[in-house]
Amino acid sequence: MTSLATRLPAMFRLSSLGTLLLYVASFAVALTLATTLVTLSGHSMSDTVLALYQGSLEGGASIGLTIDQAAPLLMVAIGAIICARAGIFNIGQEGQVLIGGMTGAAVGLFLPGPGWLVLLLTLVGAALGGALWAGVPAALFYWRKVDVVISTLLMVFVATQLAFFAVNRDYLLQESGTGGTVLSSQSDLIPEAVQLPRLGEYPDLNVSLYVFIVLGFTLAVTLLLRYSRWGFRLRMLGHNPIAARRNGVRAGALGGGALLLSGGFAGLAGGMMLTGSVFRFQPGLADNVGWEGLLVALVARNHPLLAIPVAVFFGALRAGGGFLASTGVPRYLVSIVTALLVLAAVFPAAYAEIRRRRRPATAVAGG
Amino acid sequence: MSMRLSTENSDTGGTATNLVAVPAVELTDIAKRFGSVVACDDVCLSVQRGEIHGLLGQNGAGKSTLMKILTGLVAPDSGRIAIDGEHVEISDPLVAAKLGISMVHQHFSLVGRMRVWENVTLGERGRVDRDGARRVVREVGDRYGLTVDPDAVVEDLTTGERQRVELVKCLRRDPDLLILDEPTSVLTLAESRELFSVLRHVTQDENKTVILISHKLDEILHATDRVTIMRSGAVVARKDTAHTDVRELAREMVGRELSKWTAATAVGTLDSLTTPTSDPTDQDLAAQDLAAQDAAAQDAAAQDLAAQDLAAQDLAAQDSAGQDSADQDLAEPDAKEPALTKTNTEEPAATEPDAEQQDAAEPDTADQNPAEPDPAEPAAEEPDTATPVTIENTTDQNPAEPEPAEPTTEEPDTEHQGTAEDSADPDPAEPEAAEPEAAEPEAAEPEAAEPEAAEPAAGEPDTATPVTAEREQPQEVRLSIKDAHATGRDGRPLLRGLSLEVRAGEILGLAGVEGNGQAALGDLLSSLIELDSGTVQVCGTTVKAGRPGAMHAAGVGVVPEDRHVSGCVLDMTVAENLVMADIGEVSRGSFVNPRRLRARAGTLIEEFDIAVPGPDTPMRLLSGGNQQKVVLARELAARPKVLVVAQPTRGLDVGAIEYMTERIYQAARSGIAILLISTELEEILTLSHRVAVIHRGAIVGEMARAEVDPERLGMMMGGQAA
Amino acid sequence: MENIELMLASAIRLAIPMAFAALGEWIAERAGTLNISVEAMMLGGAFSAVMGASVTGSAEVGLLCGIAAGLLIAFIHACFSHRLTVNTYVVGLTLNVLVLGLTSFLLVRTVPIQTEKLTIPVLADLPVIGPALFDQRWPAYLLILLIPLGYWLVHRSRWGLEARASGESPQSADVTGIDVNKRRRQALMICGVLAGLGGAHLAIAEVGTFNQNMTAGRGYLVIAAVIFGGWTLRGTLAGVLVFGAADAMRLALPALGYELNPQLLIATPYLLALLAMTFFAKTHRGPGALGAPFVRGIT
Repeated sequence: MTSLATRLPAMFRLSSLGTLLLYVASFAVALTLATTLVTLSGHSMSDTVLALYQGSLEGGASIGLTIDQAAPLLMVAIGAIICARAGIFNIGQEGQVLIGGMTGAAVGLFLPGPGWLVLLLTLVGAALGGALWAGVPAALFYWRKVDVVISTLLMVFVATQLAFFAVNRDYLLQESGTGGTVLSSQSDLIPEAVQLPRLGEYPDLNVSLYVFIVLGFTLAVTLLLRYSRWGFRLRMLGHNPIAARRNGVRAGALGGGALLLSGGFAGLAGGMMLTGSVFRFQPGLADNVGWEGLLVALVARNHPLLAIPVAVFFGALRAGGGFLASTGVPRYLVSIVTALLVLAAVFPAAYAEIRRRRRPATAVAGG
Repeated sequence: MSMRLSTENSDTGGTATNLVAVPAVELTDIAKRFGSVVACDDVCLSVQRGEIHGLLGQNGAGKSTLMKILTGLVAPDSGRIAIDGEHVEISDPLVAAKLGISMVHQHFSLVGRMRVWENVTLGERGRVDRDGARRVVREVGDRYGLTVDPDAVVEDLTTGERQRVELVKCLRRDPDLLILDEPTSVLTLAESRELFSVLRHVTQDENKTVILISHKLDEILHATDRVTIMRSGAVVARKDTAHTDVRELAREMVGRELSKWTAATAVGTLDSLTTPTSDPTDQDLAAQDLAAQDAAAQDAAAQDLAAQDLAAQDLAAQDSAGQDSADQDLAEPDAKEPALTKTNTEEPAATEPDAEQQDAAEPDTADQNPAEPDPAEPAAEEPDTATPVTIENTTDQNPAEPEPAEPTTEEPDTEHQGTAEDSADPDPAEPEAAEPEAAEPEAAEPEAAEPEAAEPAAGEPDTATPVTAEREQPQEVRLSIKDAHATGRDGRPLLRGLSLEVRAGEILGLAGVEGNGQAALGDLLSSLIELDSGTVQVCGTTVKAGRPGAMHAAGVGVVPEDRHVSGCVLDMTVAENLVMADIGEVSRGSFVNPRRLRARAGTLIEEFDIAVPGPDTPMRLLSGGNQQKVVLARELAARPKVLVVAQPTRGLDVGAIEYMTERIYQAARSGIAILLISTELEEILTLSHRVAVIHRGAIVGEMARAEVDPERLGMMMGGQAA
Repeated sequence: MENIELMLASAIRLAIPMAFAALGEWIAERAGTLNISVEAMMLGGAFSAVMGASVTGSAEVGLLCGIAAGLLIAFIHACFSHRLTVNTYVVGLTLNVLVLGLTSFLLVRTVPIQTEKLTIPVLADLPVIGPALFDQRWPAYLLILLIPLGYWLVHRSRWGLEARASGESPQSADVTGIDVNKRRRQALMICGVLAGLGGAHLAIAEVGTFNQNMTAGRGYLVIAAVIFGGWTLRGTLAGVLVFGAADAMRLALPALGYELNPQLLIATPYLLALLAMTFFAKTHRGPGALGAPFVRGIT
């Protein structure tokens, strides 16, 4: 055992160089694949990259767009990280984002009162909506031991239908038509007072204020996970639920709470998109933010601070995707690249882990 | 050691009956390294056809690795394997199967939700023949007396029945060589006997070969023809079972004289296994062509513990039959001591059955040849009249410092053991060896009793007074469980009206065959399960079962049996593991204070002598013994009223075992009520003041240590009314 | 009567692509993989089937292309989750994103091609069940072969025994000498073949062209069906039928003048699966190690 302890640093040193090379190699492969795809489909790779760059990083407006796209991703990722730290795998964020947007819209549209208060309550409502949607799987798990992965996944599709239902009922969220116009499946615009103020045009950087809320949450969660008793318990629960329960952790409350919190963050992301950029509820509001936020958490290996750059990167891709139209490259390229990058990010760590495991795994045979 | 090895080799050569034949299995110079860990160091093993060959060794001695090499699960670094004289390469399990090698694994080889016949045919090749498999299950069952319903679902079977399925699974392939890895750890006595008779049948009537891996001496003595003993990856001795005895085996296995506790743990359930069935046993032995005198020696060795009990009973009767206690059973060796010490000092030579036989009558002290000088030693080091409560003995705190005078210096901490045991009186001697924080004054009640108990340790034999003293002042009841009923998640009853009481300063040993509710009881006291009915009281206050942390808050500490699974969090640091139960103590508000966390961890690491580079080391990197220390340190640091220890020494090496037993004893002395849950009967018999037997989720019998009758105990454990 | 006949025919028609995939998903799950990428496999299968058929002009070649696509996706999934032991859900989700992106990106207008209908004489004229069972595109009849074959494979063959052991109790299987991850990879690839075939059937046999995201969550429905069926083949197929019926009702009821909430009908399968898991927890017990990666030595 002591020998293992002494060997360990050496192993890390060796593998860190190897791992780095692996990362470089796998990202190279991913990008090569993407390039090949673009070229084969008859487009110019340089134009594509340029478009992506223009859309995401060139000039204040683009950077603002990137940040706006990154904010909800980060929000979802933070929630996913809390859950993962508690050892629970919530993959239903897409639905939770959507429901959050929906409840937020309901509050924003129908609640009277001063704008700032309604805005605040809209966000609270969105968070509660998301939490509620995550609460169902939480309840099913702690009451009937229903697998969280399966139930959160199934709830995504129920959420989609619920959203469609709501925007197709004039007594719910469907837009109020004026005269003989055909009503579409979306809600009215939320009042301007309930829309989140933007940082303005100075200095040509037009970002929604949400980014500060998100960063605040990220920092808070980082600190809480690392230093608080709650974080301590959460990590205990995640690493070893039995030991955690033996030491007085209420698995139901803590784990269920983490799931609710995760849903709340996702719902808040939905509320942010509603009040920050879309301004009306549509069944397509979530726009893969839930799925991609989950992937952000994964690529960041469940470290909240690491999730910030990853979310910005993903956000940049999303923002750049909007500019692709000018080059004729379908914007779906963005999802392809995103997925390839996720695989490229996952591969080296997993490979190194397998390599590392192979030795001690046989050592278990001793005795 | 090496010298002895050579003598024994020649000894074996002289007496073994069938050495002329080509060995059925011959392993030559097998070496296997895992990183820097040497699992097998040029091991040679030779097994004859038609014999039951014991492979004895502590956990980690390399016996499992050796067998994995033989079954193709692990590839050796070097060495040769010959089957029936022919050199073979066993590259994977299938090759091993083709060569007729089949292994019954200790764990994990049955799929719970499949039927028996499916499990039996799993791992074979070719078409799945359901009817054929069913038929084979029945046939093999009939042939060996292993009846089991082929269509039963495995998870519905009892542990004994599962073991049968394992055997059927192996035997249906009609192997030439059958390897069994710790087969009896989960069996009742009756089931173990049944197993051994099957093995006997297989070797004698069908001329198959059996290798029996075990760390239980009784099993080896009782069931094998020859035995190979491994220690730290190397073979240290080979013997004819007929020409050896418990003590010699134990010494070889451990590499030195055993202290009483360790010896008892290692011996396993010898007396209970042999005593009740002395007749069939003798027949068996005769059948094995054992010389009569050896058999006698063996029996004598087997019964020594029983003898001890009887003596204890006598004594107890004399001084007015105490309900308690360790002091009693310990008293009797003292009486005999003077007569025996001479013999002992001569070093109980392995080759001298007569001397052995004599020793056998006196188990504990006999082992302690370095006994003589000891009494003086502690006295010199510390004022022997001092009460243990106040002693701060630094030397003992750190048992790693050897005392030069001692002859057996392999593992220094045993010397204290030896010291403690010179009077063969573990618990009174205890306080002198290593004094942990457990003895700190906050344990109020026991103090009254302690000075008296300390007396014999300090001075010498006569224990009559403390016995009466303790009897007259029954300690308060710390833990009281009344009529507890609990149901598992799958609807099966876990506890059926279990009631027990543990008093302050007392160790209640809970004996029983694994799977009879011990786990549920441990879980109950860890707040993991709820009760359907019944109550749990700690110090007279009812505690709500199943509310996380409630038991802990009420003062119940638990060292769970599967510490690495449920006792600690391997992916967190040692420091974090040490404060897990009481994060509040190192927190300010709702935040953990890293400095206080580290400081507290440092104190505990020092106090409990945990070998670790620093408090921030991941728990995963610690050895099993040190992990156990962390768990124990955490539980004791919370100053519990009641401490539950489940299988405290399972899977630990000898040094760690002694450390644990010592600590447990100290904890009891400091007034903590201790519930010791163990399947190792000897562990219970050596440590406990009282013994209770659990069977099918209820206590079926309870007796003072002095009244323990192994036969009755064994029957209770097996569920027969006694 | 005629309505029922129509409805039943439509339900079966809608259920068939899912039945292929569900059979595969059932096999994969019994071996221990909760395979989320079945959606990607179906979508990829549908896409390549249409492309293959369009290029070669042969629907049969299209079917084969669909199978190949499903197999390729399964292979990638298997490598990631049962060689590298990456979390299978993560791999599945990523593959779903990837394949949806790819098929949308590469989408081009194709010549519609459909497989032949195979109307079984006499039987197809049976009332009520005739059109439903005996008047389908020919690949549909493969199910008659594949379902018993799948059942036999899992419950009667050596391979199935080992695969089930791998899904149920990988440690035991490992000790017994079974290569757990290999069995799981194989099961996953079988799932890929079947799901690819299912997607191809949807695109070629039923529709004839490929639309963006044309499976539209049918893969997730398939997962719901396996859960709904309590991890038995019978239950899974029943689930597929029920879900097909719900879909058929959604499409047909308005035309028949009935009013039933379409959203509720679409959500029904998912709700049913959730309810089944909630209320039949005892019988609805998934394989013991479902979704958990197997690493030797970690117990």
